[in-house]
Amino acid sequence: MEWVRFIAAAICLIFAAVMECIAVFGVYKFRFVMNRMHSAAIGDTMGLMLGALGLMLLKGSRWFSYKMVLVVVLLWMTSTISSHVIMRMEYNIDQKAVEEETGGR
Amino acid sequence: MSRKRRDYKSTFYSRIENFVNGKEQFLIYRESKKTDVEKFESLEEELTEAADLLEMREELQWMRDHTEPLDFLKRFHRLYGVIAVLVCFTMMVLLLVTVSWLPRFGNADNPANNEVIKRYIEKGEEETGAVNIVTGLILNYRGFDTMGETHVLFIAASCVMILLLIAEGEEKRAGYAFDRYLEPKNDIIIQKVAAFLVPMVFVLGIYVILNGHLSPGGGFSGGAIIGAGLIMYVSAYGFHKTERFFNEHVYKVAKVSALCFYVCCLSYYFYMGAHGYDNHISLGTPGNIISSGLILFINIFVGTEVACTMYAFYALFRKGGLE
Repeated sequence: MEWVRFIAAAICLIFAAVMECIAVFGVYKFRFVMNRMHSAAIGDTMGLMLGALGLMLLKGSRWFSYKMVLVVVLLWMTSTISSHVIMRMEYNIDQKAVEEETGGR
Repeated sequence: MSRKRRDYKSTFYSRIENFVNGKEQFLIYRESKKTDVEKFESLEEELTEAADLLEMREELQWMRDHTEPLDFLKRFHRLYGVIAVLVCFTMMVLLLVTVSWLPRFGNADNPANNEVIKRYIEKGEEETGAVNIVTGLILNYRGFDTMGETHVLFIAASCVMILLLIAEGEEKRAGYAFDRYLEPKNDIIIQKVAAFLVPMVFVLGIYVILNGHLSPGGGFSGGAIIGAGLIMYVSAYGFHKTERFFNEHVYKVAKVSALCFYVCCLSYYFYMGAHGYDNHISLGTPGNIISSGLILFINIFVGTEVACTMYAFYALFRKGGLE
């Protein structure tokens, strides 16, 4: 049982690291701000959740695990909201670039 | 894909102009769609909006008349890059040379390893009443230093006010007319999340301040948390709602009285210490909330000061005034 838990935690942590790598790669690869924000948000949501899940599996049912749940909930709230505000601001101040990029859709 | 770097003066004004023009066209469009009864019913609202539009046009003209060309900025930026690299390089060399003269880390004979640290660790809890040795250290043993830091914060806020506070007049009106131009206005998503998060942030800040002598934290960190909560509230609901409980008057009273009480508390320490008297304020049981003498109150005053400063910086940079 210990081994199963360890392997599950390791898989979660590895996937979290992969997600963070994808996020960083996307932020440097893309030029348009909305694409970059999309890939940055992957690291903040998926990467964070998988990392926290892996740590929770490693530690088992303790106060630490419940704190990690709280961290995930709060960060999911704040990080997505800040992405939303930045996107709305980009749309407000640079509609021309947004229309060029999206083809007027 | 790549966007050219445009002259930011012209883009800024063209954006504001587009905004004003778009609003005018929208009003005309809406007017054409209405029946006579609706027109009559919404006359007052229409008039207010038209007056707003006229005022915005006036502000735009005023801003256009009162700005100078920014050509010198380009030359300045080129020079700035060269000087920045030179200064950074000099600082780097100086710091590396200094580090090479320092004694080895962790050496028992280092000058930093003396009786002072031993005293802090062994007698800190007994003498200050604070379980958190760091708080006992910075607010009691080294209170003079911390008082200087708090005054630095006060002076920094005053300097920002001197530089950015806008006097009554046309400039202030212009700042108000375009205050929320670049930011979302009444965004329902931010408002819902802020309604949930802001009370939690305030409670966390108060907890960190009140537990400053028991657990990691204290006035500076708790004050920064409360200031961040205030900033979140402002960005969600706007200045009108914030001014109901935190306006310039409250700011002045809270900030100055916190600083005065703080100086009074520390003056008591200095007076008693300099004359060799005993401390007559009971330290209580270490570990209780109400213990460690004046440290709890000093934490509260420092927290108020820091929260006010954080919020004032935000408000001053955003619109040049607290109300």
